[in-house]
Amino acid sequence: MKRKIFAVLFLLLAFCVQPLSQNGIKKKRPLPYEYGRVVIDNYSEKADIAPVVFEHWIHRSKFTCRVCHVDVGFAMKAGATGITATDNAHGYYCGTCHNGKTAFQSCTRKTSVEDMKTCQRCHSYGLRVASDYDFFKFSEPLPKERFGNGIDWEKSEQLRLIKPATFLEGVSTQRNPLAVQKDFSLNAKVEGMPDIIFSHKKHTVWNGCELCHPDIFVGVKRGTTHYTMVDISQGKSCGACHVTVAFPLTDCQRCHSKPV
Amino acid sequence: MPTYSKRKGTRRSEHWRHIIKLAGELYLLGNLAVAQIYLPKAPPPPADYGRIVFNSTSKTGPGPVIFDHWLHRAKFTCRVCHVDIGFAMQANATGITATTNHEGYHCGACHDGKRVLDGKVIFASCSDGPEEKSCDRCHSIGTSNVRQYDYDTFTSKFPKGVYGVNWELAEQTHVIQPIDFIDGLSMTGASLKNRKDFVVKPAYSWVHPIAFSHEKHTIWNGCELCHPDIFPAAQKGTVHYSMFLNIEGRYCGACHGKVASPLNNCQKCHPNAPPWAQ
Amino acid sequence: MIKGKLAVALLLIGSSGLYILPAIDAQEPSAPQAQTPRAGWQKEFDDVCSKTDDAMTFSQDELSDLVRRCDTLLPQIDKLDESRKKVYSGRLRMCRGLYAYVLEAKRNEKK
Repeated sequence: MKRKIFAVLFLLLAFCVQPLSQNGIKKKRPLPYEYGRVVIDNYSEKADIAPVVFEHWIHRSKFTCRVCHVDVGFAMKAGATGITATDNAHGYYCGTCHNGKTAFQSCTRKTSVEDMKTCQRCHSYGLRVASDYDFFKFSEPLPKERFGNGIDWEKSEQLRLIKPATFLEGVSTQRNPLAVQKDFSLNAKVEGMPDIIFSHKKHTVWNGCELCHPDIFVGVKRGTTHYTMVDISQGKSCGACHVTVAFPLTDCQRCHSKPV
Repeated sequence: MPTYSKRKGTRRSEHWRHIIKLAGELYLLGNLAVAQIYLPKAPPPPADYGRIVFNSTSKTGPGPVIFDHWLHRAKFTCRVCHVDIGFAMQANATGITATTNHEGYHCGACHDGKRVLDGKVIFASCSDGPEEKSCDRCHSIGTSNVRQYDYDTFTSKFPKGVYGVNWELAEQTHVIQPIDFIDGLSMTGASLKNRKDFVVKPAYSWVHPIAFSHEKHTIWNGCELCHPDIFPAAQKGTVHYSMFLNIEGRYCGACHGKVASPLNNCQKCHPNAPPWAQ
Repeated sequence: MIKGKLAVALLLIGSSGLYILPAIDAQEPSAPQAQTPRAGWQKEFDDVCSKTDDAMTFSQDELSDLVRRCDTLLPQIDKLDESRKKVYSGRLRMCRGLYAYVLEAKRNEKK
């Protein structure tokens, strides 16, 4: 009898899952300088130091996505890489460039009081730390975009206002140039919504192949994977980038752009 | 009531079938009960409807802010504030601070002491200077005689509806002309064809079908206000909406019941329903 | 007596380890990756994973061979120190994953 009661209650609870979900609420739109902010706290708080705040926008203007996410090896989700101070001090991950020569030293082996200021350049969560780069000055000359950072990164690169590096000496493997990938369209499946034009060419210029395949896009045959906006808004497929770092999903027309 | 045999030695599969049947019936009963008894509460008087109180994050600052929607609503579309400027749709969810206002975001996007509207300079929010101390105009809890616009005076010539102002009619008759584009702030993207109006078929037979006007909603909100945050599912019929969720503040309830026409005004969405419920 | 001397000796050896260990730790177990001359496995890694941009032009046999070479590299990378193991196993996973992905796509095409 008890088992039956538990079974009934369990089934009732299972039916009630929908109201417990977080759909149907308008989320806060991050400010242009906040967009792409990643907070990393695998070990910082345990080591009694403020968690790391990483702003994408400054690195994005200097490097392609591939350099960090393929060549250096950062994961695509906060905390998933497992960066430690030791890794940085040995010249990996952040320490690949933040080695005191290419850029300021990250995670020195021995820290003194003077070093704390450098530590706080990254370990700044909850602290009021003046940034070395001013977002307003940085973004002022760049072409504007509606959402995200408010910067049209694509156009900025076309106009050569930013020149993201594609190769890191001693880190990146010397590759042959990638053959131009064809763009293709995806059926929107919703009446009245323009079809999606996916620019494979643009994406491969910044990401290469291995950033997306097969981790983010597993399907090998076009038309076999079923993408939905719900999945994408939860960070799957396109949502791996286009929720937190690349232009957000509110910019519908950027993808749904096939002339009707 | 479910009928099942109490005899011993019943097969396990029959047990489970009975359990699932019982759970299903209880679920339906529950849903019925919820649908019948869970009605929206009576809204406050129209002058107070849409009032948001922002709790100040600063411990030493001037105190909470009172924001009344009706004044801004008469002057701007929903889109301008909730998409272009980026205000969230829940109190205290945006993260407005004096700093962000200073930087020209949030309230400071217009309240910068420079922009001109209707021939008047818009007062600066969170100003530094002692000359133009207009803190009390927003941080007005506990103060008196500081709010410059009175609801009854401002809306005296507006067409009225079942509850307060009939904003739709006010716009149609050009009593109000909400601005949809702000220089230096708004950007036009490629235009998407306006979606058609459609009917939402209810799951229960006693619920009147909902006539949803996509066209009207997009005139004030554009697409981005609702999609994909509030309404992520693209395929019709895949998400189950309910009054329960609306009253909670989700889906239609993100606006209706807080700022837009209250959920008590049944006829606005269910054309054949009673005009009012509470 | 002998036991006592043995105990003292062991104690001395043990405590000297306390001075030696930090010195070991202070040595760089791996120099920054940009500065070391490429070790054998690293040359192989550079050779295998530099071909990802050409993946679509390879035949199924060539792709299978590249996957096999990645699989051979993995145990070598597993033996490295923690930092390098983390970085290179992640990079190898992505590189092998791509070759396997393209191989499957080509097999699918032929069906």
